Amino acid sequence: MSGERRRAVVTGLGAITPIGNDAATFWTNLCGGVSGVAPISAYDASNEEVRIAAEVKDFDPRDWMDFKQARRMSRFSQLAVAAAAQAIADSGLEVTDANRDDIAVVLNTGGGGIGDVASAERVYLEQGPQRVSPFMVPMLSPSMAACQISILNGLRGPVVTSVAACASGVQAFFEAQRMIEHGDADVVIAGGTESAILPVAFAALANMGALSKRNDDPQGASRPFDAKRDGFVFGEAAGVMVIESAQHAERRGARAIAEVAGGAMTADAFHISAPEPSGYGATKAMQRAMRDAGVEPAQVDYIVAHGTSTPLNDATETKAIHGAFGEAAGRVAISSNKSMIGHTLGAAGAMSALAAACAIRDGLIPPTINYEHPDPACDLDYVPNTARQAPVKVALINGFGFGGQNAVAVFRSLD
Amino acid sequence: MSGRRAVVTGLGVVSPVGIGADAAWQALVAGRSGIAEITLFDASAYDVHVAGEVKGFDATQHMDPKDARRHDRNTHFAVAAAGEALRHAGLLGSDDRLDASQADGDRFGIVLGTGIGGIGLIADGLQTLNERGPSRVSPFLLPHMIPDAASGMVAIQYGLRGHNLAVVSACATGGHAIGEAMEAIVRGQADLMLGAGTEAVVVPLAMAGFSQMKALGSPIDPDTGAYQPAMASRPFDATRDGFVVAEGCAVLVLEEAEHARARGATPIAEVIGYGSSADAFHMAAPAERGEGNQRAMRAALERAGIGPDEVDYINAHGTSTPLNDRYETVAIEEVFGEHARRLMVSSTKSMTGHMMGAAGAFEGFVCAKVIQTGCVPPTINLRHPDPELTLDYVPNEARQADVAVALSNSMGLGGHNSSIILRRYEA
Repeated sequence: MSGERRRAVVTGLGAITPIGNDAATFWTNLCGGVSGVAPISAYDASNEEVRIAAEVKDFDPRDWMDFKQARRMSRFSQLAVAAAAQAIADSGLEVTDANRDDIAVVLNTGGGGIGDVASAERVYLEQGPQRVSPFMVPMLSPSMAACQISILNGLRGPVVTSVAACASGVQAFFEAQRMIEHGDADVVIAGGTESAILPVAFAALANMGALSKRNDDPQGASRPFDAKRDGFVFGEAAGVMVIESAQHAERRGARAIAEVAGGAMTADAFHISAPEPSGYGATKAMQRAMRDAGVEPAQVDYIVAHGTSTPLNDATETKAIHGAFGEAAGRVAISSNKSMIGHTLGAAGAMSALAAACAIRDGLIPPTINYEHPDPACDLDYVPNTARQAPVKVALINGFGFGGQNAVAVFRSLD
Repeated sequence: MSGRRAVVTGLGVVSPVGIGADAAWQALVAGRSGIAEITLFDASAYDVHVAGEVKGFDATQHMDPKDARRHDRNTHFAVAAAGEALRHAGLLGSDDRLDASQADGDRFGIVLGTGIGGIGLIADGLQTLNERGPSRVSPFLLPHMIPDAASGMVAIQYGLRGHNLAVVSACATGGHAIGEAMEAIVRGQADLMLGAGTEAVVVPLAMAGFSQMKALGSPIDPDTGAYQPAMASRPFDATRDGFVVAEGCAVLVLEEAEHARARGATPIAEVIGYGSSADAFHMAAPAERGEGNQRAMRAALERAGIGPDEVDYINAHGTSTPLNDRYETVAIEEVFGEHARRLMVSSTKSMTGHMMGAAGAFEGFVCAKVIQTGCVPPTINLRHPDPELTLDYVPNEARQADVAVALSNSMGLGGHNSSIILRRYEA
């Protein structure tokens, strides 16, 4: 590249999560160690093997869109539209005919409208093909959350959805940064969304042995890095940021809270659901992301871990951090917000991005809750149980997906 | 920019008009339709029961039978087409894994898009859940049904460990996948990339959804009234009345030009431009006058650094719906001005049907072959000129022509637009 890199800064935040339906409440509860895990309310799970989830509570789509729009929109799109509206309002961005062609949307997901597939399949089986909704296909498409944000806000730049399973949300932020760096857009509405609290998803994940079965202790079920962890808690959420070029933000007098400095992806090329045990692919992704952002391991203050609370992930991720950070691994603060909001799959990276940006803004690192029993395979500083005051200049967010995709993004303070 | 250039060095195809790049290309040049009666399930209760199915495909010829059993058909296609493309590029060793003497797996990535991913597996899983209860749902369901299962499995099968993800933008997916793969090479994130799209939506539930949208083409010969599945897709024809659902996969090996030169690989073409935009208009209908499509084509021309009059051929999105073909024609006229009269524009969907998330990748493959062979495949079933559509659609018969620059348009539900531009490679 010639000349100065166009820098991408964060100017607005929005969130619909199991611990709060706006970014400020989410952040307060995350630092307060509040768990959003509870018995499943979306359907009757009383006879199922897994009966707990981290659901979004008290969300009324009509607070964010009219009834007809809501009815033709999957819940994963509804959550994203609401979080995007918050982020745009928070950033003070006004969409006008002069700028709408230069505003992009990168809104990623893991599964898209699987809930609508399930209800359409029931209609199909019970009432025949003629009764399937004509809105089914456009509703369930994974790119529809991005499209709805584009349509409802009149944003006409590139509109893209990428899927890398549980790494999806992380990818959105460095994709946004690249779009800004290369001048494809001045502003990017970036984030992740997921809503799949459905019997079929729980049955499949439970049968994989991936989910925690601590049904009688919902708030203690997600325990990343703890020796007694037994699987992840499935959650739903949407997180969205307004990311724009530093010049654009400065020109309109917007308040920036952090910079998206870079990122990278790699593949394990190993197994469709298990992580490669040496952590090679994850190590590489962290190293490349740091190189892309121009930071050294010793400069990193905080890692927002993937930290799912499965026996395999947390040990492998620890090994990968050792691999990428060497000596510096012992000095970096690491925490997993999944201890409180569960694993929100395609939204998980967006949750971590919000945590990274807020940690940089406030000099406060949210804890890993339910950390009680040290595991010799997890020997780093996981900020156990209580938030910590500490300046954060550089934060890394990790996301690792089924199929072996590894994504890492780097956030940095503005000075 | 960096001076890094992305060239095409391998092609792989699984399609309604043939399995394998050569077979598919021969069918296109001969104007042979791949659209026929649905055989994958009993579709007799449906209003429209024709589709562009992949015929005679056996997944176990391309992957371990155990993997084949667990994976969705869209992943089967992707593993097969990726294998062909990698072999064609001379990148596989005798063990059918990436040959380390040819390329570094850590610098080899994948953008393998799909419109919906494993919808067949989801439907099966739901049926199992309803009929036999949660404990019988397959533990393999989730990691195999997600839209990026194919990009994960291709990486696993061939040992490609770089940048890896799936893009999803409905029917514009394939164009985005090739464009993003090109950008990954130009920006230095990888030295080699697979740019690809895959789709397998000929399953009862999806066909019911498409059918209910009332957007499918009727398999009736408009002149004789005879039942004729191969006539269902009639892009740019005055009697066109909808698209035909199809399935398949196409994979392009993109390689940094210097990397290709160093290992003695022959570039088939260069990917020089990519543009992307949103209509911000409607979930299912295209914006008037193809306004978003215009901006995507302009962005791709700008990215390529060429003027409109340098383009020789456009592989149209050309779905055969009344609105798409009209607006796409207007968009081409607006962007290319006078030069629109001199351009060749054809829709290979007249033969393949609409391969959804695979369409843009398949049409990228067509553009590469047009440049390589100097032969432009036709728009078949074009017998009734529409007075509003006056471009040169290369009707019914292939044409020999020297094509140096080809553009492919893709547009998707929700208002996605992607355009990519390929050019004959000159060092």
